[in-house]
Formats: sequence, C-alpha cells, structure tokens
Amino acid sequence: MDEGTGAAAVSLVVSLAVLAYGAAALDAGLGGARGAAGAPLREAARLLVQGRRRTLVPDTLLVRTGTVLLPLAALLAATVLPAGDRPVLDSGVGIVWFNAMEVCVWGALWLVGWGVNSVYPLIGGYRFLAQGLSYELPHMFALITVALGAGSLRIADVVAAQREVWFVVWMPVAFVVYLVSALAMAFWGPMGEPVGRNVAGGVPAELSGADRLVFAAGRYALLVVVAAAAVPLFLGGGAGPVLPGWAWTAVKTVAVLGGLVLVGQRVPAVRMDRFTEFAWVVLIPLTLLQTLVVAIVVLP
Amino acid sequence: MGAVLWLVGVLAVGVAGVYAASAVLSPRGVAGSGPFLSGAWPREHAMSRFHVRWYAVTLVFLAFDMEMVFMYPWAVVVAEVGAMAVVEMFAFLGLLLVGVLYAWREGAFRWA
Amino acid sequence: MGVREWLLRQAALRPRPLVVGCPYGTRARLLVEAEADRRGWVAAAAPAEAGLLVVCGAAGSEIGQAVEVVWEAVPAPRVLVEAASDASAGAVRRALDDAVAELAAGGLDGGARHGDAGRPVAMAGRGRDRDGLTLDRLHVPLGPVLADWPAGLVVETVLQGDVIQEAVVRAASAGADGVSFWDPPRRDETDRDETDRDETERREAARCLDSLGRLLAVAGWPGAAREARRLRDRLLAGAAPAGLRRDCERFARRVRRSRVLRWMLRGVGPVEGRAGVPERLRGDALDRAYGWLDTLPSPLPDDPAPATQNGGSRHDGDPGGAGACGGGQRVDRVVGADGADGVVLGLLAGLLVGAESAVARLIVASLDPDLDRLPASAAVRRG
Repeated sequence: MDEGTGAAAVSLVVSLAVLAYGAAALDAGLGGARGAAGAPLREAARLLVQGRRRTLVPDTLLVRTGTVLLPLAALLAATVLPAGDRPVLDSGVGIVWFNAMEVCVWGALWLVGWGVNSVYPLIGGYRFLAQGLSYELPHMFALITVALGAGSLRIADVVAAQREVWFVVWMPVAFVVYLVSALAMAFWGPMGEPVGRNVAGGVPAELSGADRLVFAAGRYALLVVVAAAAVPLFLGGGAGPVLPGWAWTAVKTVAVLGGLVLVGQRVPAVRMDRFTEFAWVVLIPLTLLQTLVVAIVVLP
Repeated sequence: MGAVLWLVGVLAVGVAGVYAASAVLSPRGVAGSGPFLSGAWPREHAMSRFHVRWYAVTLVFLAFDMEMVFMYPWAVVVAEVGAMAVVEMFAFLGLLLVGVLYAWREGAFRWA
Repeated sequence: MGVREWLLRQAALRPRPLVVGCPYGTRARLLVEAEADRRGWVAAAAPAEAGLLVVCGAAGSEIGQAVEVVWEAVPAPRVLVEAASDASAGAVRRALDDAVAELAAGGLDGGARHGDAGRPVAMAGRGRDRDGLTLDRLHVPLGPVLADWPAGLVVETVLQGDVIQEAVVRAASAGADGVSFWDPPRRDETDRDETDRDETERREAARCLDSLGRLLAVAGWPGAAREARRLRDRLLAGAAPAGLRRDCERFARRVRRSRVLRWMLRGVGPVEGRAGVPERLRGDALDRAYGWLDTLPSPLPDDPAPATQNGGSRHDGDPGGAGACGGGQRVDRVVGADGADGVVLGLLAGLLVGAESAVARLIVASLDPDLDRLPASAAVRRG
C-alpha cells in the first residue's frame, strides 16, 4: 500500500473510533446521563470487568461470528468512503461494495439472535430480517438513483458529479429514504425494534462482558458509517467554502450523525407489521419515481 | 487491497484485545444460566422453526432483489444508451410493480 | 492489581439496575426509579446487562423463586438490593449507595456457576397455528420479572414465531397484604373535604403518568418515557404546581403531536364498549393513552394564584408526601372503584391471543392493570 492509502487507512480508523465514541456520548447525554462525555468509557469499563456467561447450550461459534461481524461489516463498508481526502479502497463499484457490506448485518444479527438459544434474541433477530425486507429495496433504489445521477458506481465520481449541485437538491426523496434506511441499517432509534426493550433488549439480550462491548461498539460504528456515507452520496462530499475538504466532510458527517442520534430519542419505535406495507406501497413507488426523474434528466 | 487487509488486521487486534482484557479483568470462569424468561426455566430450546409470517414478502423481495443486480450496471450506461434504456427498465419495473400491487391486494404486506 | 480496582470503581458509578416490582411494592419502585434517574443510571431490560437486581416490595414465594432464577443469570460483579414496601427515600438512597460501594469492591463474585445442571430442556414440540399449519411451539411466560411490566402480573404464553397462540393470565401470589399505593389514604368518609379530593386527583394523575411512562417505554420512545416518569415524581413530591402544570401540558402536547405514535398505537388492543367495561378502558391503545393525558393537570388561566401547598413537611421527594396539584379534569369517583383492574385481567387473555410480541406488550402497557387493587383471590383467565 502506498503512503496516501496508508494515511487514509489510519485516518479512517481514528475518525471511526472518535465519531463512534462521540455518538455514544451524545446518546448518553440525550438519555439523561450526567457526565455524558465519560459515559461510554464507564460503560466500557463496566463491560470489561463484567463476568462472562453462557446460556443453556448456545452455539458459541455462531454468536461470536455474528458479534464480530458487526464491527467488521461497518469497517469494510467504510473503506470506500473518503476518509481525509481519499478513500482507502477507491473501487469502481464502491456503491455496490457499500451495499454488500451493509447487508452483512442481516447475517450478523440473525446469527447472534439464533445462536444464544434464548427466545428474546431469537425474536429480535427475526425482527431484523423483517425490517431488512422492508427497508432494503427503497434503500437500494436510493443508491441506484445516486449512481444514475453520477453515471458511475465509484464514490469519487459521485462526489465529482456534485460540483455544481448537490444531489440532495434534486434527489430529495432519495435522500430522505436513505436517512430512513440508515436508521434501519444501524437498527437505531425508531428502527431499533430488533434490540427493543419490549423484548428485553432483543438480539444482544443474553450478551455480557466483552461480547456486549464488541456488539455495542459495532452498532455505533455502523451508525457512524451510514451517516458518513450520506455526505459523499448526497451532500457534495468535501465541497464547501473556506474550510479544506476533509473539514467539510467532518462537519457534514457530524451533522448527519447528530441528527440520527437525536431522532433516536425523539421518535417512537416503528413496528414492521405496519411499516412493511408503507415501505412497499409508498416508499418503493416514490423512490422509483425519483429514479425515473433522474433518469430523464441524465438522458443526453 | 493491502490497506483493507491492514484495516481488518487492526480490527482483529482490537477485538482480540477486548477479549484478552476481559479475560484478565473479569471474574474467573464462565457463569452458566438459563435464558431470560421472566424468571422461569425454559421448557424447550429456543432454537426452533420460527413461524415466519412475512413469508410472502420474502418472495416478492427476492423478485425485486434479482432485478436490482441488473440495475447497478444499468445506472452506469443510461447516459450512453439513451432513452431506450430508460423505457426498457421502467417497463420491467412497471411489471414488477403490478406484482407488488397484486401482493398488496392479497394482503401480503399486512402479515400481523 | 490496580487496573481492575480502578475499572470496578468507574463501572460502579453507572451500574444498570434491573428493577423488579412486587405486589404492594409500587411506592418502593417509584423511589428506586426516581433515585436511579437522579444518578443518571440506565435501567436494564435483561439480567445479562444488569449489575444490580433491585427487588421492590415483598417478593413472596412465587416471585421470590423467579428472582432467584434471574439473579443466577446476572453476571458478576453484582449486587441484590431489596427495597421494602415502606422504605423511605433516605433508606432507598442508602441502599443504593451501599450497592455502589459493594460493586466497586467487586460485588459478589459468583465464580463459575453451573445453573443448567440437572434441569432437562426439550426440543420444541409442534402444534397447529391459526392458519392450520403445524409449527414449533415455545412456552414463554411474560412476568413476573420483566421491565416495564405491571407488578405481579404473569401471562403464560405459547408462542409460534413471535405470535401468541395461547395465553393464561394470572396474578402472582403476594408476599404480604396491603393496599394499592394509587388509592390515597382517606380520612373518615364524613370528614372528606377539598384536600382529599385534590390528593385523589394528584394520585390519579401520577398513576396515569406512571402508566404512560410504561407505555411509552414499551413503544420504544425513551425520551418521552423518561419525561413522563420525571413529571410523575415531581407531581408526587408536590413540586411547585404552576411550573408543573405547564410542563405537564407541554408533555401532553408533545405526545399527542407524534404521528408515529398514532400510527403505531391505532387499532392496538381494541376493547368494545360492553356493559361492565369502564369507560376509560374502551377504544384502542391510543385512546387509552390520550385518556391518561386528559387527566394530567393543565394550566389554569382563570386562576392566577398558584394552588397553596399544604404543609412544609415535604421531605426529599418522598411519594408519600402530601401536596396540592389538582387535575385539569375533575375526578369525582374514588380511584379504582370502577373495578377496571379486575376487568382488564378478564379481557387480557382474549386480546393477547393472535398478537405478536411487540403488540402484546403494548396491549398490556395500555391497559396497565394495578393488581394491588384486586381482591385477595386472584383470577386466572385462559385464552
């Protein structure tokens, strides 16, 4: 790997860690904890000294695989996003890669939910699959709309195509749908039923100690990545006056991330038995309409 | 690709570090207990054939998902191929949407 | 080694309590919840994430056994706290302080426990579902140890997937006798005056806020649930009525404005208006939630003088403390006298069969029966 890619890789790890910590601290602060800035550290300390436990005849291999897959999927999805001034993996099919990595979360959650052999995680895991069936298609149509507008699946080209007008301006529906699906991907806030309190914490209900710490860190990393992806896809990447590109990327990412965390406290949970119909009957036709508009615009 | 492997390595070291720290810092041994059932002991294993009521949705989803695979390369060449590409793709999508409409009428999305 | 001790001390500052409500333990639960919130503790929903198991009230044999099973599942370092039904706010605070100190010292190191020895567990059996398919069935009891769940309620369910196929609703045996916290102590019938009525309204409003806190927590709206519980605690502490009335109104407006809540609660757990079914149970979960909001104290534009607070004997947020804060809507009946809690127990099984897990929790939370108001012989209903 050359020097530029190495710097991007280091910057990716650092910014992912910092932003994930910031998101956890902000969430703790909004959740009423005092001394919120140190809250994630205390929680990490608590989980590190917490005893390990196992439920009745669990499939430990599946549980561990699913748990570690969560931060891994987030990290791999992030590789195509510009960290600093360039992405770690400048792939010609960056958007497809991002999509593919994010879908790994389906597997991760189901493996954990199934593997611990406990009914609440099992329900949580299946809830996420139902959620996937609802959010994934509108999400993919939103991504395809972006690729269509840029005429490329490379994220750098997508950013370049927004030099004149940001995609959020002429693809507002795709942007809103992306944000909804971002919440769903990270099973966050209103889309957090797979880890809902009404099923005793859902998928991670039986995890303690290191397992729970890795799971929680993976979830925050995922939230950061889906928020960060909105910046090159819709918000012009590093474009902006005065400040350098990386600073604008950071500012926009923090804004989107802060918004998602805020929504988590402000909006009740959405159940899939009602959302599925909405997603298929309203969101999919709406995003397809958006795709059609963009397709007509890009025609020579 | 080397950088991606390096990143995976960093994550592997990080996760291994968490588990190692936990092994050193947490109480010895692994505590065994039943799954959480509001204070009851389970009568059967939770791993069971789950009643997936959104079965019909998965089938409609699969139809669309296969279609998405074609849509990624399509998005790249629309500007080159021109209006015909748009017409063909949306005619195809229209057919699929008729399927969705039918599934909706049959109540496939109201699975509760 | 020093690192472990330091980490334990850090961890002990933010333990996650799993709060277990027992019959006649409402007062203790309210004190524990208020104190935990004051300390910025996040409540646990399952034993695996908890470090504290807080039992509020007298457990009795049945809930005691359940607590034992759950305690076995709490990973070390862990501390079991028992808050007596009549514990004072100071006693609860001291108990939690002691628990923190104990956690910081390593808590109860369980070491290797092998709880699963000798208890047989079968593979799931099969049965016919509502569509005539033969599917695996799981026996899953809801309660008595469950977050945001009515104290002492047990619903034995049979699940296929996450749909309830069968439900038996019953009340867990109580460990002691008592009266419901929500029925305010009354003086002699002949001696009732305005103060009693205010007190009745205040309790009723606080009870509605408690139920709303539960419903909103189950509905996955943590911010609003926390606000409801804070208002409840302020109302019970007899905090300055003028500001409180304004805050209650703001809260009610916020909840009513939520479209997502309307979307999710509409049509959940519909109760028909039959004879014997009290007015406030009728309609769906959303109607009942809005009904609770109606009982909250609202600002009095025509009454500029703030309601007088009776007595200065208000000690540190003790929910037993008296204070004047009337409801916006006059509550003339004696609270609980309409027998709604017993009716709920009768309706519940029928409503739960066919519901999926999240909806089932919403149904229970929207009816929120207070089992402490039931006559001693607890009813068992099948569905």
